[in-house]
Amino acid sequence: MMRIWLVIATTWWMAASAHADVSVVAAVDRNQVAFGETVTLTISVQGTQNGAQPSIPRVDGLSFQGPSTQSSFSLDNGHMSQSISFVYQVTPARPGQFTIPAIQVNVGGTAYSTEPIQLTVGKGMTQADSSQQLFAQIRVPSRQVYLGQTEPVQVVLFARADVPLRGVSGFNYDADGLEFKFLQNPKTGAQVINGQSFNIIGIEGSISPNRTGTLNFGPCILKAQLTVRRQGGNSWFSDPMFDQMMGRVEVKEVPVTVDAVPVEVLPLPEEGRPADFSGAVGQWKLDVTAKPTNITVGDPITLTIKVSGNGNIDTVPMPKLGSLDGFKTYDPTTKTTKDDLNTTGQRVMQQVLIAKSTDVKELPEIRLVYFDPVERAYKTEVQSPIKLVVKAGGGGHTTIVSGGGPLHVDEKLGQDIVYLKGDVGPVPASVPLCETTTFWALNAAPVLALLGTAGWKRRADKLRGDVAYARRTRAARKARKLLVSAGSYDEIQRALQQYLGDRLNIPVGGITASIVDEQLVPRGVNGELASRAKSCFEACDTARFAGGGADMSVQATRENVERLINELETKPL
Amino acid sequence: MSLKPNRFRTGAIIWLLAVGAAFAASDDEFKSANQLYDAGKFTEAAAAYARIEPKTAHVYYNLGNAHFREGKLGLAILDYERARRLAPRDPDILANLKFAEQRADVDDVNAPPRAWQRYLHSIITSRTSTEWAVYELSALWLTILAMGMWLYIPRLRTGLLVIVVVGSVGFAASVFALGREVIAGGSAPSAVIVAKETDARFAPVADATVHFKVVEGTRVIVREDRGQWLLVERADGEQGWVRSDTLERVAVRS
Repeated sequence: MMRIWLVIATTWWMAASAHADVSVVAAVDRNQVAFGETVTLTISVQGTQNGAQPSIPRVDGLSFQGPSTQSSFSLDNGHMSQSISFVYQVTPARPGQFTIPAIQVNVGGTAYSTEPIQLTVGKGMTQADSSQQLFAQIRVPSRQVYLGQTEPVQVVLFARADVPLRGVSGFNYDADGLEFKFLQNPKTGAQVINGQSFNIIGIEGSISPNRTGTLNFGPCILKAQLTVRRQGGNSWFSDPMFDQMMGRVEVKEVPVTVDAVPVEVLPLPEEGRPADFSGAVGQWKLDVTAKPTNITVGDPITLTIKVSGNGNIDTVPMPKLGSLDGFKTYDPTTKTTKDDLNTTGQRVMQQVLIAKSTDVKELPEIRLVYFDPVERAYKTEVQSPIKLVVKAGGGGHTTIVSGGGPLHVDEKLGQDIVYLKGDVGPVPASVPLCETTTFWALNAAPVLALLGTAGWKRRADKLRGDVAYARRTRAARKARKLLVSAGSYDEIQRALQQYLGDRLNIPVGGITASIVDEQLVPRGVNGELASRAKSCFEACDTARFAGGGADMSVQATRENVERLINELETKPL
Repeated sequence: MSLKPNRFRTGAIIWLLAVGAAFAASDDEFKSANQLYDAGKFTEAAAAYARIEPKTAHVYYNLGNAHFREGKLGLAILDYERARRLAPRDPDILANLKFAEQRADVDDVNAPPRAWQRYLHSIITSRTSTEWAVYELSALWLTILAMGMWLYIPRLRTGLLVIVVVGSVGFAASVFALGREVIAGGSAPSAVIVAKETDARFAPVADATVHFKVVEGTRVIVREDRGQWLLVERADGEQGWVRSDTLERVAVRS
């Protein structure tokens, strides 16, 4: 019930104060422009956000595009300020003097009117130089900037469509008192000026003045790269792409100078400057979160403050927090990100707070005061106190669990490097294992072992399963074994029979000298080897049956049989 | 004949004494350097740590701390990275490396852009090249042993097949990781920018167009070496030519 009354009261109060001090102001970002440039017209309605869209009167020679709207609301010490702005882009159709007449804005049934605005449109470089083939131009949206403000700047090179512009190889500039940053990659495009088509290369940049007064941006020199056909080349076929492929073109650098542009740098106004203003310039937004808000005494609260928006983030200090007496605090961590031109940015601060007692009811108010160069006024972003529910803790001793251990009061969370090592520590190997011969040997050994094992296994399996193979494989070894112990012709003949039987996979018992003709000769054993085999059998038979009539001794016969076996081993029977 | 064992024993004792004396000397130098650091003489401490040989992970770590205190964040990150190569799971080294990268504002730049790349990088860098070599050998021997047993013990073949598959995967993974570590030390070495800020250009000439700027502490891979100019690649894959005196290679070759 209480909440409903609060909402009703707030709504009534807002409605009552909505149109209390309403004022309407129209302004352009500059009163003098060159033909071809656009002017920004801003109609600001202060004191309300309910202003109707203004009706823009027709002006001969000026066209209006828009509006885009911007609204703001802030609450400072009970004083509410709110506004809405309507922004138009005004494009002159010709050079000359123009007057933007009074513009009416209807707010809550009351018509408010702006002052007329004078606008001078000069001939400008664009028109004057559009007859040229190659020229450059500096584009600054506003010639009036404030100290600390970051203003975008563009240096544009124009080349008529028939000029073989290849790129820009160099860029020199003079920007005394204006810190100038620019993007390394220029933007390319095309533009039609007075019916002429131009290729353009634009260098995007920004200026940040570091002193007041009228400062010059420029002069600038752009080195335009032009593709030129070599002299003396064969002219029977003159396609540019073909010329480039054949190396018939060369690149020439042409310096293009653009005159300086004066920029008036204004100091930040003293009038209306809040006491707690710390130099922030731009258009900034404040976001604050605190987690968790329902805690026990001793629990850490992570307060995250984010400032983001347009302008130079480096000018923005972290917002001021009110009294933190009821909290134990730790050093905050801050992370800043910004674009390359420093025209937009974001700064995020995280701070760990610990409520010391249940008396703590809320986080303090957070304020960010900044100067808005577009609206030319100081503004304050306020984060109201965030309510906390703090319950009594169990032990009463405050700790944060970080890495599994209690946190000492003086310890900084992640704010410094870990201290030195006290000893030299283990000495690493002078050569890593993978660069040693041992490593490669240890890699090769198991592979070779596996290949060997597999081969041996395959042979063993074959010996077991293939009788002919087994007999053939073992024939010579078996016969030699018999020969070694052979002391008679009979035993020598038996060894020879055993060999031939195993080798040819036939029964040993019936083998005689006739096996030479029956088995060996058909298998390719001819000539001298066959006759020797036959004579070995005959010698043994003669000695066995004729007794002492043999021509050779036992020893010589054994050696003959051994040689015969060796030679037969080389034959694929 | 009887002299040989004595000679060997004498030689071994002399060698052990020499090695022991060398370690004792480096330990004294280490403690002296720590005292200089404690006295706030960070430049002198850094010089003292740099003289200590052989360099251990702890020496690189303390050298990184001294450089950090000197404000030389690029050199500090380089030293912590060298320490991490030798002791990749040391929490102090990892913490200081991360903190130095955050302080130099290069933690985002140095991290691989995709999540899976970051995960893979964290796994590969969690072991030394020697550890990966031992894993590779273990996986290879396990796989070969299981394959050998598979030939002779048919009844265990199902279980052995699982071991062969697991071992092969482990072998392939460790070969990949080892390869990355070897490449990082050899053909495509890692390096750290030690100059405050340097321009990475499109070509190895002084007036070539600047492609991007590389700040102190940025980790890069050297893709090509042309003496005074090096083609480097950032973690996000962007490549540019920088002067060779603006960076230091992580791998130290004697």
